[in-house]
Amino acid sequence: MSQNIKKYSATIKNFPSYLKDWIFTFKGGLSMLCLLFLILFPMLTQNPYFLGIFILAMIYSIFAASWDFLAGFSGQVSFGHAIFFGISAYGVSATLVFNGFTWWAALLFGMLLAVVVGFIVGIICLRLKGPYLALGTMVIAIMLLDLFKIGQLKEYLWGDQGIIGVPPLSRDAVVVYFALLIFMVSTIIILIQITKSNIGTIFKSIRDDETGAEASGINTTKYKIIAFMISSLFAGLAGGLYAMYIRSVGPLIFQPLYSFYVLIMAALGGIATISGSAIGAFTFIILSEVLRDFNRLDPTNAILTAFSNPAFIFSILLIIIIRFVSGGLLKPALERLKELWDVLLGR
Amino acid sequence: MGVLLEVKNLTKKYSGLTAVNDFSFEIHRGEFVGLIGPNGAGKTTIFNLISGLERPNSGTIRFDGRDITGKKSYKIVNLGIARTFQLVRSFKFMTLLDNISVSCLSPRGKKLAKQYGIDESASSILAAVGLIDKARIPPVILPHGDLRKLQIGKALGTNPQLLLLDEPFSGLSHEEQKGITELIKKLHDDGVTVFMTGHVLRELMHLVPRVIAMHQGKYITEGLPQEVANNKIVLEAYLGKGSEDLA
Repeated sequence: MSQNIKKYSATIKNFPSYLKDWIFTFKGGLSMLCLLFLILFPMLTQNPYFLGIFILAMIYSIFAASWDFLAGFSGQVSFGHAIFFGISAYGVSATLVFNGFTWWAALLFGMLLAVVVGFIVGIICLRLKGPYLALGTMVIAIMLLDLFKIGQLKEYLWGDQGIIGVPPLSRDAVVVYFALLIFMVSTIIILIQITKSNIGTIFKSIRDDETGAEASGINTTKYKIIAFMISSLFAGLAGGLYAMYIRSVGPLIFQPLYSFYVLIMAALGGIATISGSAIGAFTFIILSEVLRDFNRLDPTNAILTAFSNPAFIFSILLIIIIRFVSGGLLKPALERLKELWDVLLGR
Repeated sequence: MGVLLEVKNLTKKYSGLTAVNDFSFEIHRGEFVGLIGPNGAGKTTIFNLISGLERPNSGTIRFDGRDITGKKSYKIVNLGIARTFQLVRSFKFMTLLDNISVSCLSPRGKKLAKQYGIDESASSILAAVGLIDKARIPPVILPHGDLRKLQIGKALGTNPQLLLLDEPFSGLSHEEQKGITELIKKLHDDGVTVFMTGHVLRELMHLVPRVIAMHQGKYITEGLPQEVANNKIVLEAYLGKGSEDLA
């Protein structure tokens, strides 16, 4: 026990020098620059529209990171990640609107709800592998979509309309922005630390070879469920924040499109890189905002209209990524940057 | 010298095919035993049944006085039976060190490993199998011989009492075979009970003091390698009927 304490205190003592070393690595430096930009961004503009884009991107970053953790590091590819996102959004909205919770209590409740659902989904999907797991999770999401729509259950599940008038995290967009930034950065740090820890090694072994992990004495059932629960915790965080940002929640939150979005974002940034999902989410959100107005140029032009639909353009992008740059869209660019970085530091 | 592994009347049927038929044998603590038989004799099936990857149709397997028939494979590993596979399995995108760490993180492996730390224990196992200079690279780029060593290392990480080696020599050059032979001998000297298969008799002959022979899922005979090699039924199984004169 005292040994552990010694180890932790040494870790904390060494942290400043560790941080300094990390900043001078390529990854660390780039992350620091991005973080600096995100911190300084509200000084550039306080326009709620621009801040809103970034807030949404940060919410999706958390969501995509949670998916990437499950798929990229534990090998459990879920096509129904909207389950956890939506359940938590409902939980947060209901407790905020009907029970008068404060935002953090509601968020905590939503995350717990998502973990419980993650546990259940994990158990249901235990024996499913590969494409069957993807199908299974997708089907559960579609079931929830229909369940929450049913008019007869309106008393319990608020029917078609969902819950409206959810109070925001704060009236001030800048406060929301910084709160989200903290949530996003801590999510990414926590998830990366988990993948680097002992339990992360076990997750990766299950991803690479499940039978092999079992032959190494690992209870794969247990760890797969734990992976589902960790992932759903953060997907739940994103869902709750989303509900507070959009100010309402409806059954459409369970639609496959949301599950598809995270997949695209994670693939954009490179699967099995937690921080890549943040890059992917920002690229996705900003690009789709830019593309949205494309059809205004000429509403009669079919091609422009098609391109203004983010799902359309990103589906094409996804195919290109899968075919040519499976490490992520930005990987070639990042590698060039890394060379430049090494030259600048005289290595 | 108590009985460590006791297999009784083990039978495994696939639809229309009896892969293992009423098979019984015993392995004592500290022994070094080989299981021989031509291709398709059912050697790997027996290993799968012992290690819990498949369930037998009937029969019992007792390990260290405990009934382990049909238990889940990770539970069996944590009781002290580790195995390697005929077709090498590895965690492709993890470093060799992490490959071994996974075994050290299993409940049984952890008991031993946590005294020294997981990484240190994994490194010492890597050193023991002779791969320590490749600790930081993933197994995708390793030659076949190193992968075989890695497999044994992964099995050692769980701190086994009984080591099941499924065709540890298949697909190896003569030099590589020598290295593995040395490694297995050293492990046996350290007190691990070893049970290994092979379909080429010559390799096993020099290594093990006792072999069990099987053919088409059935037990034939057991004893000293020389005796077994001269057994009429064994020769028939390997070379076909009427081949005694040739051998």
